[in-house]
This record gives sequence, C-alpha cells and structure tokens, in this order.
Amino acid sequence: MFQLTDIPRILPEILLLVLALLVLGSDIFERWGSSDAARLERVRASAQLTTIGLGLIFVIALVQSGYVYKLPDDASANFFTNILRNLQAGGPGQQPIVGAFATDDLTMIARLTFIGAAFLTSLLCLDYHPNSNPAEFYAMILFSTMGMCLMAGATELVLIFLAVELTSIPLYILAGYFHGETRSSEAGMKYFIFGAMSSALMLYGMSLAYGFTANALAGNSAANDLTQLGKIAELAGQGGPVLTLAMVLIIAGVGYKVAVVPFHGWSPDVYQGAPTPVTAFVSTASKAAGFILLFRLLTVAFPSLAGSAVFGENLGGWTSLLAFLALLTLIVGNLAALPQMNAKRLLAYSSIAHAGFLLLGLIAWASPEQFDRDQGAVALVYYLVVYTLTNIGGFGALAAVSLAVGGDDVKDLNGLARRNLPLAVLFAICLLSLAGVPPLAGFFAKFYIFMVGWQSGAWWLVIIALFTTVVSLYYYLRMLKAMFMEAPATDEPLSAPAGIMSAISISVAGLVILGIFPNIILGIISRVQSIAGL
Amino acid sequence: MTRAIPLEAVLVVAAALFCIGLFGALSRRNLVGVLMGVELMLNSVNINLVAFWRYLEPQNITGPAFTIFIITVAAAEAAVGLAMIIAIYRNWDTVNADSVDSLKG
Repeated sequence: MFQLTDIPRILPEILLLVLALLVLGSDIFERWGSSDAARLERVRASAQLTTIGLGLIFVIALVQSGYVYKLPDDASANFFTNILRNLQAGGPGQQPIVGAFATDDLTMIARLTFIGAAFLTSLLCLDYHPNSNPAEFYAMILFSTMGMCLMAGATELVLIFLAVELTSIPLYILAGYFHGETRSSEAGMKYFIFGAMSSALMLYGMSLAYGFTANALAGNSAANDLTQLGKIAELAGQGGPVLTLAMVLIIAGVGYKVAVVPFHGWSPDVYQGAPTPVTAFVSTASKAAGFILLFRLLTVAFPSLAGSAVFGENLGGWTSLLAFLALLTLIVGNLAALPQMNAKRLLAYSSIAHAGFLLLGLIAWASPEQFDRDQGAVALVYYLVVYTLTNIGGFGALAAVSLAVGGDDVKDLNGLARRNLPLAVLFAICLLSLAGVPPLAGFFAKFYIFMVGWQSGAWWLVIIALFTTVVSLYYYLRMLKAMFMEAPATDEPLSAPAGIMSAISISVAGLVILGIFPNIILGIISRVQSIAGL
Repeated sequence: MTRAIPLEAVLVVAAALFCIGLFGALSRRNLVGVLMGVELMLNSVNINLVAFWRYLEPQNITGPAFTIFIITVAAAEAAVGLAMIIAIYRNWDTVNADSVDSLKG
C-alpha cells in the first residue's frame, strides 16, 4: 500500500512536476507583446525560473540523498534538524514503494545526474531562444526529467512503460520545437516514428512477460504483483522460449532509446536537426536513463538468463546478445564518424560509439563472480556521469558557435582559437575527455570500464574497443585541428553568451576534478552495488 | 475452465496484428500510414494483455489496468505524431516519408 510517509521518497519528482506547472502558469502573467523586446522578456522569465528551480531541486535531492551531510541520529531537535530529518527520511535504503519504485542509491545518483543535466541544459537555453511559447519549451524539459527520474527507479513493467513515454514524448516535441524549420521538424518526425515503434516492440515484450508470470502462477497470485521485475526473476526458473523472446524484445525497445547499432538509425538525423541544447539533453540524460533502465531490468528481472560473453561457454544469455550489439556499435559508430562534415552529426556518431563502451559495464554480468558484477555497475554509473558532463560541454560549445556563425559544420569551427580562446580551450578539453586522454575524467572512465570488461571474460571485446578508441582519436583531432590550426573566415572576436559559457565551465571543471580525483564520487557511486542483490 | 476459443488462437491473432502493424510501419511511404501501423502494433499488445488476464489470471486486475494505460498513452502519442505531420506538411508540402530527407550523411 502507498503510505503518506512515502511522499518524501518521491519528493524530487513531485518538485519537478510542480516546477513545470509553475513555469507554464507563470507565463500567463507575462506581457504577451509581439515586439522582440516583449518576447525576449517572456523567454527570460521562463528560462530564469526553470534554471533557478532546477538548481534548488538539485540541492534538495543532494541533501536528501545524504551524500554530502548525513544528519546523525542523536542530533538535537530544532527547527532545521527537523526539516533535515524529514527530508532525509526519503533517503536511500528502503523497500520499493508499492513494489514499483525503488529509491535506492542507484535512483539517487541517477536523479542527481538527470537533474544536473537538465540544469546545465536550461543554462544552455538561456540565450538560445525558442521562437514562440518559451514556457512550453522549459516545461517539456522538466516533464522529461521527471520521466527519467521515474525510469531510473522503476521496478515494475507498467511504471517502466509510463516513465519511458513520459521521457520520450516531451523529447519528440523538443526535437521538433522549431516547427517552422525544415531540419527541426524533420528531426522531430524521425525521432517520433522510431521512438513509437520501439515503444511498441518493448510493450509486446512486456505483454509476453506478463503472460509468462500469469501462466507460471496459474491463478495462485494473491497480490497485484504480476508485472514486478522481482516476480519475473522468481519464476524465471520455469522460463522457456517465451521469456527469452520477451527479454529480446525489451532489449530491442530500450536499445532504440540508447541508440545502439542496429537500432541507431534515428540518432544522427535527430542530433543534427534538433536545436543544439536539446541535442545535448537527448544525447546525455536520455541515454543515461536508458542505460540505467536497461541495467535494472536485466539484472533484477533476468539475472538467471545472463549467460556468458566468453567463447565456447553458454552463449544463450543477454550478455552474449549485448556483447554482439557492443561489437557492432563500436565498429559502426567509430567508422561512420570518420567522414562526417557536420560537427553535430560527428558528435552523434561519437555518442553511438560511447554506447558501445557503456555496454561493457552491463556485460560484466557475464562473470559468475559477484565482485565483477558489482564493479561493472560502478564502472557503468561512473562512465554515465562523466559522459553526461562531457557531452553537455561539447554540444554547449557547438551551440555557442552555431549561434554566432549560423552553422554547425566542422569548417565553421575554423580558427575558433583566434576568435574566442576560452571557448576553444574548453571545447578542446571536452573533446579530449571524449577521446579518453589522461588526466581527464574520460580516460579514467574508459580505463575502469575496460578493466571490468576484461575481468568478466569479454577480453576480445576490450581489444576491439581499444582499437576503435585509437580510431576515434582521428575525428576528435580533426575538430581540434580546425579550431587551432586552420585560418578563421574572419578575425573578429566571437562572443559566447554567459549562460552557455557558465554551463561549459561547470562541466569542464567537473571533468578535470573527476579525472584527477576520481575517488570523490567513486565512494558514493560504489554504493550502487547494494542493488545487485535486490 | 474450458472455452470455445483457446488462448492460443487469441495470441495468434494478436501476433498477426503485430506483424501487420510492423510491416505497415516499415513499408508505408505515407507518414499517416506509418502512424496507423504503430497503432496496430500497440493494439495487438492490448489484445495480448487482455487475453492473458481473462484466460490465466481473471481475479487479478493488472492486465486490464496495463491496457488502459497503453490506450491513454497511445492517444497522447497520436496527438503529438499528428501535430508533427502537420508541421512536416507545412514545411515540405508533402507527407511522403521519402521526400523528407534534408538530414543525411
């Protein structure tokens, strides 16, 4: 049963919903003039409200998780400690709410990642004005963030479906938000069609999983727990081809969302056509949410079907399937990025390639040792956090360039170092981190996830991943060469808006700090291990 | 519990409907046709869920509840999809999926 004491546990989601409604509602009281000045004022109001609100929600979620400061049990009771105690009552370490929504450490860390990504995205949007109805633009970001938070904690099929749709539908709208432009509307349409088909595939798999539990229980179920992930795992011993088919369909459906080859067809088009801040959001938060959902689904519902990624052993499980997908993703993503002329499209293929690296963290479940599996979870979450920071910085820099130059091809970056040195240096740090150059965080994330993959027996995949990392250096260096070596089209300085610069600076600071001192957050992230035994 | 129609028959109908929808979504050139294909896929899922509920677990309400959620979300999705198609039509003067190809590389 749902109890009132469960409300603090979903406080960040409730606050996101309230903020979204507040942004929509407050827009009514703005001045709706048709002049540019009046429209700018309206845009600013929504943007500032969203940014400040997201910052506050991030702080509240951080305090609630207790990672920075945990109130000791014997603290004296006064006004502030009472608030803190009630807030931290929703912290990690309890049973899932009505068996459907787990608020464990994985959910807490994922929430902070998504809310942080949304905060940085809204900073990027401060000067990237949507043409009309700004409030809807920001409300869509907030609704989508709420869906991602629910996705991270969902342990029940109906909630998983609803969370995926709550995440995706606002993202379709955001990708096609500049509906007067051919590229944006085309991106929105493509995203929508692929997304709707992948949802249908996933749903068919879920209906088969439901049929499987209903059949296995044969009329003996007492509670409405047929669609809970734990129930599927409990009954998986009687599983047959139906359960395997359900699992494959669900993997295919989520695989579309995280853009692994061969389900990646939409992503270069959508990343290129969507407004750049939206691309930053889709390529980071939405992909991270998909991976965390995939992790929870596969490890909680199908632990007995893990199989192996080692040649000659049991190749029937999901780690074997994921190893095959990772192989395709690494090769196709990195090779297709090589000839790209458009910088956004290039980063889109690079983010497909990163999905291949991320899959290694899931493939760690091929190892029978619990230790290796735990390490896989930690490596996956660390990589997701680093990847989110890096890509928001990278796409943010592209947003600044395309705002000033009016295009986002690689040749538009020519001579950026001479026109705006700070922007060029920050962008270069993001690219080097994506390529995995030490001492940046991207290097440590790659190193960790390769190590985990090697230990779990997928050494052949790690070797291919190493080779493709070398290949990927080429296209990252091509962008660096354009920025630092080529002559600019014009010598006049390129001004980058303050909002974008601060977002990029935050993410680059994160990259450098996490690269030099990874232990700062590894200690927190290593707590996600506790969910493995759920 | 014996019935005139076995569960397998209902599941075969749902699977056939799913395949028809998938084929339609992949092969139709018209964007509205693609959308109809997706709707068929979602409805086959609904048939699956209701059939499993009725034949296997009639005392447990999970199946129909799931179905109601799917119907609701499908309506929201169709609304967004049709709005996208209108935007495409205004920009390109066509709803043919093959003609909408400014993004490639």
